[in-house]
Amino acid sequence: MSTDFQCTDSADGLVLAGVLDRDAVPVMLKALARKRPAAGARLVLDLSGIVDMDSAAVAGLVTAWRHAQASGAEVTVHAPSPVAQRALQMFRVPDEIIPPPKPPGLFEGVGGQVIEGLRAGRDFLRLTVDGSLAVLAALWGWRRTRWAHLVEQCIYIGSQALPIVGLVSLLVGLTLAFQSAYQLQQFGAAIYVADLIGVSVVREMGPLITAILVAGRSGSSIAAEIGTMQVSEEIDALKVMGLDPLRFLAVPRLLAIVLMVPLLTALADLLGILGGFVVGIFYLDIAWSAFATQLLKALNAFDLMSGLFKAAAFAYGIGLIGLHFGFSVRGGAGEVGRTTTASVVASLFYIILADSVFSVLFYVIL
Amino acid sequence: MIPGHGTAPVVETRQLIAKYGERTVLRGVDFAVKPGEIKVILGGSGGGKSTLLKHCLGLIEPAGGEVRLLGQDLTTLKGRAREQLFTRIGMLFQYGALLGSLTIAENVALPLVHHTDLPKDVVSEIVRLKLELVELGHAEHMLPSELSGGMRKRAALARAMVMDPEVLFCDEPGAGLDPLTSAELDELLMRLRDRFGMAVVVVTHELMSIERIADSAIMLVQGLPVADGPLDEVKQVDHPEIRAFFGRVAAGEMRGSRSALEILTGRG
Ligand SMILES: Nc1ncnc2c1ncn2[C@@H]1O[C@H](COP(=O)(O)OP(=O)(O)OP(=O)(O)O)[C@@H](O)[C@H]1O
Ligand SMILES: [Mg+2]
Repeated sequence: MSTDFQCTDSADGLVLAGVLDRDAVPVMLKALARKRPAAGARLVLDLSGIVDMDSAAVAGLVTAWRHAQASGAEVTVHAPSPVAQRALQMFRVPDEIIPPPKPPGLFEGVGGQVIEGLRAGRDFLRLTVDGSLAVLAALWGWRRTRWAHLVEQCIYIGSQALPIVGLVSLLVGLTLAFQSAYQLQQFGAAIYVADLIGVSVVREMGPLITAILVAGRSGSSIAAEIGTMQVSEEIDALKVMGLDPLRFLAVPRLLAIVLMVPLLTALADLLGILGGFVVGIFYLDIAWSAFATQLLKALNAFDLMSGLFKAAAFAYGIGLIGLHFGFSVRGGAGEVGRTTTASVVASLFYIILADSVFSVLFYVIL
Repeated sequence: MIPGHGTAPVVETRQLIAKYGERTVLRGVDFAVKPGEIKVILGGSGGGKSTLLKHCLGLIEPAGGEVRLLGQDLTTLKGRAREQLFTRIGMLFQYGALLGSLTIAENVALPLVHHTDLPKDVVSEIVRLKLELVELGHAEHMLPSELSGGMRKRAALARAMVMDPEVLFCDEPGAGLDPLTSAELDELLMRLRDRFGMAVVVVTHELMSIERIADSAIMLVQGLPVADGPLDEVKQVDHPEIRAFFGRVAAGEMRGSRSALEILTGRG
């Protein structure tokens, strides 16, 4: 606390002297509160002995003035020293205080969210339609389409994801095989581990693992990238140059993700099965030829194709969701982070939802 | 300039109303730019200048009123016709808005690559010419993130000029530039006007620059034009904001807010 500040009572108020700075303001305000002028009363602050004063002190004095006004009293300053005069002259006081916007009440809040949700849904539908049309147009006019962007995206979404997708699938295959091996051994049915791994990896695990990893890796980066471009007016700049952001940004990403995810899924299938194979050979002592025969008996083309088809469908959704969240960014950099996270959650939810829909569909077909 | 289009405005808004959510930012603005003139948009910070530019370019849907760019209604223009229209204009954004993933040369080349069938080496030559105009020849292969703010601005100007537009929009071209470069930039804008009959719409705060380049000006105060016309006439308009702008009176004194001293001594 400042020791160079003195605050003494006078007949009609207070005498303030010395250094009135941010350390002294609480002392001053306490003294003022003790004095608390009644309605109609007038409190005079003598500032003739002030040797230094900062902006906190000015704010403290204005605050006291406002409080007094609110209760019908008056706080005035008397004989400010040159230093005090300069400080007080420096700052201007707005005529009216603008209250912060009220946070919405419970019902308004919920209603607002419903409206927001509907609007977002409409925007998403529009993006799905326009984006798909743009993809078709790009394929139709393939001669005029710039494939360099597509290659770039394919490398990023596909090639660079190979190690992580491969490793995770191998581990999942191993784990799945271990878990089921124990159960199957009890019935002397160890050889069926090949069926189990083959079918579950190709139908479910391969597409799911790949989609989830791609959602985390590429879906999020699409959202973040587009969101950043939105914030820095790059999207506006594209429009002003007569370049359709959908054709320029969305098409290569959508095409790349739909091409690459099935390929990644095929790799995931292979390595997942390899995991099961390793467990079968080394842990269950199954001959590798027996495992292979059993596996080929269990798998059919439909399993494989349906898995890859599912993967492509997941991919298209992940791409659209990333784009939608990216384009929906308004405001600053903070919004980009929040939106990116939201896009990943939405993608994961979509993947699980779509997967259950496909399960029912394929069950009905078969 | 297209021969025969004579003196019809290249940019025009009628009773333009702009809103961000509930807040009205422009409340009925009539604005017109004649071919071959440099029009300056004046107004305090946050006065809606950038918003007006964005409406002229169809980047924001107006909440009311009309916008015409080169004689076409932007609210109804779609598809190829819209893209074609945009090949005839250029825009320098307030913060450059260069694509971060492309080099400076690629940024500048972008409209050429997508809208023309020019061979690659001609495109690079055009890019080099334009970059040299803004004295960025040496930065061709750098990424925007490797440039200073002022350099980015100049690169963005090169991109805005690359299609030889009929109308060039500039949002605070001089901000972030040193006085010398800023003066050279003004020089460049005037050359573009004189040689190619390019209309230029400039948002700026800089008095020196305004005096140098403006043929006419519009002053926006709280979303309404308080003066519009040739610069000399605008300067004579008797309005507190205009007096303040050209006479450099502190804005606070003009708006009538009081100093802490006045309040606390009970004066004023
Ligand atoms: N995206 C937005 N969302 C909400 N309000 C906005 C947005 N952009 C601008 N505004 C508001 O609209 C008003 C006008 O903004 P605008 O950017 O047009 O001002 P300006 O005249 O260009 O100012 P400056 O000279 O500082 O660039 C400001 O009060 C601003 O708060
Ligand atoms: Mg602006």
